[in-house]
Amino acid sequence: MIQFESVDKWYGAMQALAGVSGEVRRGEVKVLVGPSGCGKSTLIRTVTRLEAIQGGRVLVDGVDVGARGVNINRLRQRVGFVFQAYNLFPHLSAIGNITLGLTKLRKMGKAEARERALAELARVGLAAKAEEMPGKLSGGQRQRVAIARSLAMDPEVMLFDEPTSALDPEMVGEVLAAIKQLATNGMTMICVTHEMGFAREVADEVWFMERGAVVERGRPADLINSSAHPRLQRFLRTLA
Amino acid sequence: MLEILQNNWLLFLVGQYPHGPIGGLAMTLFMALTALALCFPFAICLALARLSPYRWLRLSATAIVHTVRGLPLIMFIFWTYFFSPLIIGRAVGGVETLIIALVVYEAAYLSEIIRAGIQGLPKGQFEAASALGLGYWTTTWKIVLPQALHNMLPSMVSQFVSTIKETSLGYVISAHEMTFAASQVNNVLLTQPFEVYAILALTYFVLCFALTSLARYIERRISAGRVAVATPAVAVAV
Repeated sequence: MIQFESVDKWYGAMQALAGVSGEVRRGEVKVLVGPSGCGKSTLIRTVTRLEAIQGGRVLVDGVDVGARGVNINRLRQRVGFVFQAYNLFPHLSAIGNITLGLTKLRKMGKAEARERALAELARVGLAAKAEEMPGKLSGGQRQRVAIARSLAMDPEVMLFDEPTSALDPEMVGEVLAAIKQLATNGMTMICVTHEMGFAREVADEVWFMERGAVVERGRPADLINSSAHPRLQRFLRTLA
Repeated sequence: MLEILQNNWLLFLVGQYPHGPIGGLAMTLFMALTALALCFPFAICLALARLSPYRWLRLSATAIVHTVRGLPLIMFIFWTYFFSPLIIGRAVGGVETLIIALVVYEAAYLSEIIRAGIQGLPKGQFEAASALGLGYWTTTWKIVLPQALHNMLPSMVSQFVSTIKETSLGYVISAHEMTFAASQVNNVLLTQPFEVYAILALTYFVLCFALTSLARYIERRISAGRVAVATPAVAVAV
């Protein structure tokens, strides 16, 4: 579904991604972990060309994301992206955030879009908050609306960029529950997170990144418990 | 002063209407409002062009904005006044002239306000729109402009205040507005220019001060809204 082929990304003289390769198959859940600034967010942002890359290729379903002539907006509709800061549109209600894409991109009628949006809100347990403005919602609720907004577009892949890092601790659970449910239903996803319990539960594979490269990868149980990966162990201790 | 006002308040308010052209405060407000409303679409286009990824568009818009901002309004009034008859083949009235000059002039200033509003939006708004797959125009109309214009409302009211004051230049081309009305009164009375122009000044001041206060009020409300969005702890968690 997604292939990274020796991806290089530079910010000026700073190399953010150094030859990252890897594959995410349909239905797989990959969790990216690593110290801040290691390039994990940058890597998933390359998938929908929120970041341009300078070397290598990123393929989504065999299509080179960076190629000239690629209809990037069409591609982005197939790849959901959830941000750390939610990035809801503050001037639209919860349901307005969701129907915008449905009416403008899916060309749905108003009634149909509303129905679909309500179903998505119900899925994340927020049907009662449909008419609320984002400013009136808690962080956890905002992030769940953001997830519903992405899901409404029927994406084939979901990318999560530290979806719980901006949340108060008591709200982390509700957001992780929504993501876990998705994983259970077989959604392909890449999730950048520091929640190791979550990684252990849902990840098919954990990629540990450092200085722009994936330095370890493996099944979560193997990686987390093994003593064979000293750098990873050191990193995990800093989380605990 | 009160006596002058008692005898001439109608002239200050609506000019010679209904016995002649409408003028006075009514015309001042009409011209300022019309100019601002008409320049709005141009201002939005200029602002978008200045932020365009296309170099030629960006450079031409920047050149226009800098040129207009580098010249005094009275130049535009004179140019419109003397050149438009040559172009359209008949004389153009003072009111039309002033409105046209104001539209050109205010579009440049308003475009800078709108540009600042767009650039002041969090980067996440553009990214969220991109990530959804929304195109440039949908993003601009549905996400960017509604927020940018809302945030810039106080600056736009301030721009309206400037425009009101600038209409007084209409006096030089005999546009029948409030300053013109005051000069008519002065021409009749001849001996009390200080009082006449004090009334004029006071009227401008009350109007502009009220609008500036309104701008401050809107600004406070908008920033209060921003705080509520920035700190989730304030929101009611259920």
